[in-house]
Amino acid sequence: MSPTKNDPAIEKFDIQFSFREKLNSVAEGFRHNYCYQCGACVADCPANNYDEHFNPRLIMLKAILGFEEELLGADSEIWNCTNCYTCSERCPQDVRPIDVIIALKNLSVLQGNAPPIVGNIYNSVLQTGTTTKSSSLVDRRRKELGLSPLGSYPIDEIQKILKVD
Amino acid sequence: MKYIPFFGCMMTTKYPQFEAAVRKSVSHVGMELVDVEGFTCCPDPIYFQARDKIEWYTIAARNISLAEDLGHDIITTCSGCTATLSEVNLVLKEDESLRKEVNDRLKEIGREFKGSINVRHAITVLRDDIGVDKVAQSVKYPLNDLKVAVHYGCHLLKPSRVMRVDDPDRPQILDALIKATGAVPVHHDLTLLCCGKACMDDSIPDRMVMDILDTIQEKGVECMGLICPTCFDSFDVKQLILERKYNKSYSIPIIYYFQLLGLAQGYKPQEVGLHLHKIKPDPILKGLELVA
Ligand code: SF4
Ligand code: SF4
Repeated sequence: MSPTKNDPAIEKFDIQFSFREKLNSVAEGFRHNYCYQCGACVADCPANNYDEHFNPRLIMLKAILGFEEELLGADSEIWNCTNCYTCSERCPQDVRPIDVIIALKNLSVLQGNAPPIVGNIYNSVLQTGTTTKSSSLVDRRRKELGLSPLGSYPIDEIQKILKVD
Repeated sequence: MKYIPFFGCMMTTKYPQFEAAVRKSVSHVGMELVDVEGFTCCPDPIYFQARDKIEWYTIAARNISLAEDLGHDIITTCSGCTATLSEVNLVLKEDESLRKEVNDRLKEIGREFKGSINVRHAITVLRDDIGVDKVAQSVKYPLNDLKVAVHYGCHLLKPSRVMRVDDPDRPQILDALIKATGAVPVHHDLTLLCCGKACMDDSIPDRMVMDILDTIQEKGVECMGLICPTCFDSFDVKQLILERKYNKSYSIPIIYYFQLLGLAQGYKPQEVGLHLHKIKPDPILKGLELVA
């Protein structure tokens, strides 16, 4: 099977070598270099099973070739990964495609293209130490269930280690 | 034995009934929970990790370091917290330069990640430290013949390189612990399918969850048993959403493992918060002769 068979766009594409350095600059952003395009990561990928446009093998190929705009743009398919880690179990090359997808997400964030939920979760942790809100209803429920009230969160410590400017 | 529970964000606020069920049920199998002040979000393995990996490591390492001060293992009760804290704990133990980078940040608040404890999902502790037999001995009112569709979720088992809990393709752990309550674990073709919660395009998780619920319904299984509040979100309140969106009709109660165990130990349904679920478990409680 030709590695480019599923996607004619790839056949016409000039390799963008500069993308390798960019991806290399974030954690785990090198693992796709071990990919030999066998496709073992695809069969049990639930995102692929439910949406054929999502394909971890092709995402690895596009990362190798440097499809920067497609991978990092606002509508990129990478955000449909379910984070199930099945591909990491299947890959004979220890590429861990999910970890490369997370590296791509990290780059997409740096370019300002991530979906709003990423910034919302981050800001919530930064400002409150948690991702969920407490309320008088929560307090009442906890009490009814015999649980102690929630304590406060050490927000000053979080802000110091997150190096906010 | 002593353990430090890490309940996380979702379970302490949105689903405190799960925290209550854990606290109540584990006290009957000889687990002593030592609470630690000052934990924050684990942080979130999907979006926080997508934002910045080093910061994800750092916040998690701070949480782990608080437990290290007391020298007991952390037990997690949410698969998301398990994913974050297990991976960060392992990666920082193995990677010296990363550990140094994270510890340089932690120094600013006078903390250090040492790598001296383990992080384990609470059901792993039940199997490995307590023993399934001892869990079974704590059962006073066996949930006789209650059929429970097992839902493992992803992050208890995968990546297996990190989790080291069970075979991710043929897991047994939750089955054994459900059997210990007297109930009957049931597998189906989609037992190991993800709940899809992390997908940006709603139609993917919608179809995954409908496929799972349809399969359970066709098999005539009475409820689903699981170990993660995010999966719970995907199956409990989601049944109402799917009914509205796709004109489906479901009423499959979704039960967190420690609620099943608590019921079997003799807690009333209200004491483990079953009345707070969107899909009311009354039919199965009647079958078990437990008043809702
Ligand atoms: S983690 Fe891997 S297998 Fe799972 S949805 Fe993402 S790419 Fe597919
Ligand atoms: S299984 Fe591994 S080597 Fe094979 S295509 Fe997927 S990432 Fe590449």
